[in-house]
Amino acid sequence: MAYANKEHGGKLVRKFDWLPYFSGILTIFVLFSFLLYPISKSVILSFVKSGEPMDLANFTLFNFENFFQSISYQKAFIHSLVVSLSVTIIATLLALPAAFAISRISMPFRNILLALSVIPLISPPFIGAYSWVILLGKSGIATHYIQSWLGIEIPSIYGPSGIILALSLSYYPYVLLIVQGSLAATDPNIEECAFVMGSKRWRVLRTITFPLVMPSIAAGAILVFIKALGNFGVPAILGGEYYVLPTMIYFQVHGYFNLNGASAIAMVNVLLTLLAILILTRLNKGRSHVTVTGGTRRSVQIKGRGARIFANTYCWGLLLIALTPHLIVFCSSFAERWAGTLFPTKYGLANYFRILPEVQTPFTNSIILASLATVICVVFGTLVAYTSVRRRFFGKWALDLTIMLPFVLPGIVTGVAYLTTFNSGLIVLTGTSAILVLAYFVRRIAYIFRTVSAAIGQVDNKLEEASAICGATWGWTMRKITVPLVSPGIIAGGILVFATLISEMSVTILLYSARWKTMSIAIYEYVIADELLDASAMGSIAIAATLLLVFLSSKIIGKSMAEMFR
Amino acid sequence: MTSNYLEIRNLSKVFNTEHENVTAVDSINLEIKGDEFFTMLGPSGCGKTTTIRMIAGLESVTLGNILFNGQDFTKFSTFQRNIGMVFQSYALFPHLNVFENVAYGLHIRKILKTKIRERVTHILDLLNMSELASRLPPDLSGGQQQRVAIARALVYDPGMLLLDEPLANLDAKLRVQMREEIHRIQKELGIMSIYVTHDQEEAMAVSDRLAVFNMGKLIQVGTPHEVYTRPESLFVSGFIGQANFFPAHIVNRNGSGVRVALTNGCELVLTSLVALEDKEAESVESGFDGVVMVRPERHTLGTSAIGSLNGTVRRIMFLGNYTRYMVNCPDSRHEVFVDSPRPISGIEEGGKASIGIYEPDAILFHKKNC
Repeated sequence: MAYANKEHGGKLVRKFDWLPYFSGILTIFVLFSFLLYPISKSVILSFVKSGEPMDLANFTLFNFENFFQSISYQKAFIHSLVVSLSVTIIATLLALPAAFAISRISMPFRNILLALSVIPLISPPFIGAYSWVILLGKSGIATHYIQSWLGIEIPSIYGPSGIILALSLSYYPYVLLIVQGSLAATDPNIEECAFVMGSKRWRVLRTITFPLVMPSIAAGAILVFIKALGNFGVPAILGGEYYVLPTMIYFQVHGYFNLNGASAIAMVNVLLTLLAILILTRLNKGRSHVTVTGGTRRSVQIKGRGARIFANTYCWGLLLIALTPHLIVFCSSFAERWAGTLFPTKYGLANYFRILPEVQTPFTNSIILASLATVICVVFGTLVAYTSVRRRFFGKWALDLTIMLPFVLPGIVTGVAYLTTFNSGLIVLTGTSAILVLAYFVRRIAYIFRTVSAAIGQVDNKLEEASAICGATWGWTMRKITVPLVSPGIIAGGILVFATLISEMSVTILLYSARWKTMSIAIYEYVIADELLDASAMGSIAIAATLLLVFLSSKIIGKSMAEMFR
Repeated sequence: MTSNYLEIRNLSKVFNTEHENVTAVDSINLEIKGDEFFTMLGPSGCGKTTTIRMIAGLESVTLGNILFNGQDFTKFSTFQRNIGMVFQSYALFPHLNVFENVAYGLHIRKILKTKIRERVTHILDLLNMSELASRLPPDLSGGQQQRVAIARALVYDPGMLLLDEPLANLDAKLRVQMREEIHRIQKELGIMSIYVTHDQEEAMAVSDRLAVFNMGKLIQVGTPHEVYTRPESLFVSGFIGQANFFPAHIVNRNGSGVRVALTNGCELVLTSLVALEDKEAESVESGFDGVVMVRPERHTLGTSAIGSLNGTVRRIMFLGNYTRYMVNCPDSRHEVFVDSPRPISGIEEGGKASIGIYEPDAILFHKKNC
């Protein structure tokens, strides 16, 4: 390829720079066919009766009527609402005191505390869910002792209380990290000003601090709501007969292969999500206070003894409870004999040795699928981020929206969309590795988009202009200037995507086939078969690998682990 | 010495924002030849930067043509135009060292490695930067970064050099030093250069010719001396250097001169006449036919009331190389500045002073129909 604009006798030579157009068209094609098309087809399908061809004549609200008339659907709808709202409220209430304590009360090791708070976010909630079964299930280790020592009849872990417990403890760090970040970034002058004017501490908290971080609280809470609404793994394991929308979708697909019905449920699920986002933007309207300063001065730290004791007890206590499932998974993976006692009676590596022959295939599968998806994510995520940051064009909001769409859609909805689209018709991918790779790509491209957008925003546009002035084509500039400069962002985003894909559950459960069974499916199967110790061994491997990768990624980008999830 | 020739015809740029269309550049015509050092001067937002960015191809052209040696520049992308450009922020590639930054454009042109080394070494020598070839840009001072940016823009023998406020980020002393350096190299290499600045002193110091911009329009083009001594509008006389304005009536015309009367009745015969454009004519106070413009250093100041205008000295400002007297005159609408190379004895703050106008130094800006 010729980049040069050599002069031929003083004359400039025109040469068509095709690469940006090619990349642009390819990106649009990929986004359209693997993101917009499946999702819109799934939307259309929900308006057609099962078994009938997609046609305007067949337009019907049958699936929705069916939905709202069927008792079981109505129940699932109510259940989803109850669970998501409870989780949102509990997680927010749990997180707020901790967020305040970490940012305003003098505490040692607060960075370690924040880094450890990331663990519940990166390890799949369903791994934590079954450890609650180990602990509080019908024959759980704690159940027995609590009942015999305290004489309390604890409610069954199966059902709403178990789901709410597991999800609240998995998702409260979202609120914690976002609100803590916002509290730490608040201009200390504002609060000091209130103190100078004679306000007492409680009054400042109520009239200044709290209103200032209100948008962050709302943002964190809405994220928890979306995540809780879309979660499949936890209600699948702890739900029992208590169905929520995602498990209902799975039931429709695996029980009856009623894709149209599943699409309709998915639509309802999505509408709830969109409603939540709409409420958030309404609440936050005119509330975005610009209080973030570039200064390094931290806000006044409360040093009182009582406050410090409270802060340490509360924060570490909460973290300990939230990490209990992970500790149990880790401990039980080494337990060789464990029946009817508080602690295992024999430790060893037997579980690991036992699963070794069975873990290899799913482990390799997960690595292959996650790697492929990560590469595609990196390429297109970077291209879209570049376009979005650097170019001004009509309909840019549509591009940003398209990219972020799968971010708010429950994974199982993406799964349904892929099933309905690639099960028949032009491209048939059902049962192949490609369908998983593409679905993973669609699920995670927003991660790359976000980190790379931020990184490109940091690079002065003048550098690219200077490169073009020197005679570089678009491709040369990308290769030699832009990509090298944003590479930390790209690598960090890539690792984050890879790490969270190793144990992806929500789309995998709908799209995997016998040949392409992944780690998460293997763990799920162990849990279903009640082979909990084997599940723990495999779960420990998954969590450890994920944690290690996220740690690595945070080192590369030079950010703390907590910052990466804000 | 080159025979390059840049022609700008009816060049316009309209930015479409959400609320309105903003005309940033309005029908500009220019010709720049050979190794000329040409400066675009004007207040911020006047369209000078937009114009240079259109020449570079970094901004699309709404209307008009840019012809370089007869070829339509607008048909070429930036990377095909073979130009050099120095940015205000220097825009050095932070991950490449000085040598690699300078060699960047040569690598793109697929020039032999040995040849690249030769040319980079030569240009770095020319800018006294040879010792720093292996440094990374963040380890360089502002002035050094500036030199690297210039070297990078010149090394591949571009058809023209564009400089967009290149000295704005340097401190005052270095700024004077660097502008001399840029001038020296430009003349040494004989390369057509277009320089954008809002600093009129800088523009006067380096340019062969300069163009004054205001609100997207090209107001006046000429050598620094022409623009300073023969401004063609009130804007240019106010923007380039200081100016005192006195409203005046036309008494009569005799031969080549015009006899005018100032507000206090003092009469002058002026030969430098400029008819005002309609817009500027509106700014002339009603009841008057025009304004007389005099540069502060062209006034005389004395204690005896023999001058054209009398007033009270409000403040005396000692500025080192000259002294500025600010005089309140009941007969002038504005405070009158008088600059003198040395303090004038007998003039004190609060005391009386008489301002003299030397007729050949004054210009009359008059309404068209007078």
